[in-house]
Amino acid sequence: MKYGMVIDLKKCVGCYACVVKCKQEHFLPPGMTWRKILMSETGDYPNATKHMYPILCNHCADPACVKACPTTATLQSDDGIVTIDQDKCVGCRYCLIACPYQARTYNADEKKQYFPGQGPTDFEKLGAKLYPHQTGVVLKCNFCRERIDAGIEKGLQPGQDMEATPACVNICPAKAMVFGDLDDPDSEIARYIREKKAVQLHPEFGTDPSVYYVIN
Amino acid sequence: MIQTRRYEFLVQNTPQKEWIEKRGILMWLAMFFIELGAGAFVVSSIVGNQLGMLLGWLLCGVLGGGFHLVYLGHPTRFWRMVLSSGWKTSWISRGLAFVTLFLGLGLLHMVLLQWASPVTGLLIAANIFAFLAIIYVGFVMASVNGIPLWNTALLPVLYLVLGVWGGLGLTILTLEATGATTIAVGSVEEWSRIFLVAFIFIVFVYLLTIRYQGATGKTSVRVIVAGKLAPLFWIGVALFGTAFPVGVAIATWVAGLSIPTALLFVLIILELLGDLTLRYCILKAGLYAPLIPSTSYA
Repeated sequence: MKYGMVIDLKKCVGCYACVVKCKQEHFLPPGMTWRKILMSETGDYPNATKHMYPILCNHCADPACVKACPTTATLQSDDGIVTIDQDKCVGCRYCLIACPYQARTYNADEKKQYFPGQGPTDFEKLGAKLYPHQTGVVLKCNFCRERIDAGIEKGLQPGQDMEATPACVNICPAKAMVFGDLDDPDSEIARYIREKKAVQLHPEFGTDPSVYYVIN
Repeated sequence: MIQTRRYEFLVQNTPQKEWIEKRGILMWLAMFFIELGAGAFVVSSIVGNQLGMLLGWLLCGVLGGGFHLVYLGHPTRFWRMVLSSGWKTSWISRGLAFVTLFLGLGLLHMVLLQWASPVTGLLIAANIFAFLAIIYVGFVMASVNGIPLWNTALLPVLYLVLGVWGGLGLTILTLEATGATTIAVGSVEEWSRIFLVAFIFIVFVYLLTIRYQGATGKTSVRVIVAGKLAPLFWIGVALFGTAFPVGVAIATWVAGLSIPTALLFVLIILELLGDLTLRYCILKAGLYAPLIPSTSYA
């Protein structure tokens, strides 16, 4: 069992729905996004082309961040998902530096608010209760670990049942993402990677990312 | 032609900022003082200079350890870095263990030296851990494969030379301060000159190697020698840290004179300044390769 994601760059329309949904799902503080989208343009009018590159934690099979973490706060579970135990993180940021994909963020400012001087919004108040983020620790995408765990408990299948699938995958209006078990050769994601010849980002780093991209 | 709209850092070389900007400055200072202190302890213990050992211990423990702790997001959890199983893979965890063991054994040795009879085995163990404390930062950085400037086996060697060289300088200062014999100072000075030559050689080889290690490495080296860090590098490292000591060493050697104490003090301060500047340049010029190629996939 190894969860992974494939992102079809030919389908991505760059709507930022995944970025916003991720922010909403995890009640992320101002200025922090666990997903990012790079946009670029090639060519000139009338032959200009726009390209989108959604970037997130790659949940590598051989993650540099897990090796770098001095307190074992960064963990990799048996299903391949890399998470951070906020209670153990000491805030040394070595994982942040060690990640060649720059997928991690340091949560430095506890006073940061969406509307400074006007108090926390209802969203922020709710987030503090439902999904508290410590300051002085490193945060990153967790493949919506809580959704997967809760879904499996209900007997649902991650990648097939929306309730057990990462929020970014569900929200994508272009269905540009597929989530599932990379180890199962019959899973939708495994077939998608095979058929579309999806590739990993910078495999030369040797971390064996679990996020694949369809580029052709 | 590509026009990036957002997250330009992903299509260009991106500088690491966590360990050099804002509070990251503390990491730079911590690395410097830990290696300098450990180096001073090792060299001073070899020549039997108790003041140098104490100074090295204080620099490593108080300044180096202190800056490290203040930098952490949760300093009160620092014990996890030693007591967890992180040491199996993490060089930071290993480094903290080395520094802690060096400080503990070193303190015990100094206490015994002062009030009882010293144990040779204890001093040897303290020196081994001090030696490991000198080189661990090099391994911490060399294991980051996303930053070509750091990802080289030469970095631990360079930091070893810097740590011992700085330690030699501090030992000379403390020997002079305690009125040690000219012979004792002279022998340490000779070693300092050898390390000066080693320093020049390794910095040259290091930059040359990285220069040919891909586009990002080449850019890092360019930033140091010809980019925005060039004034710091050429004035701080090349002029103060290298050219002055080399010039004075050659001049006094040709003239057959010993270096006047006041000038020696100035030279050592300049050497340490060069050490600090080079470390700053290496941290500041640490660039990640672009995540997305600058040419389109289409």
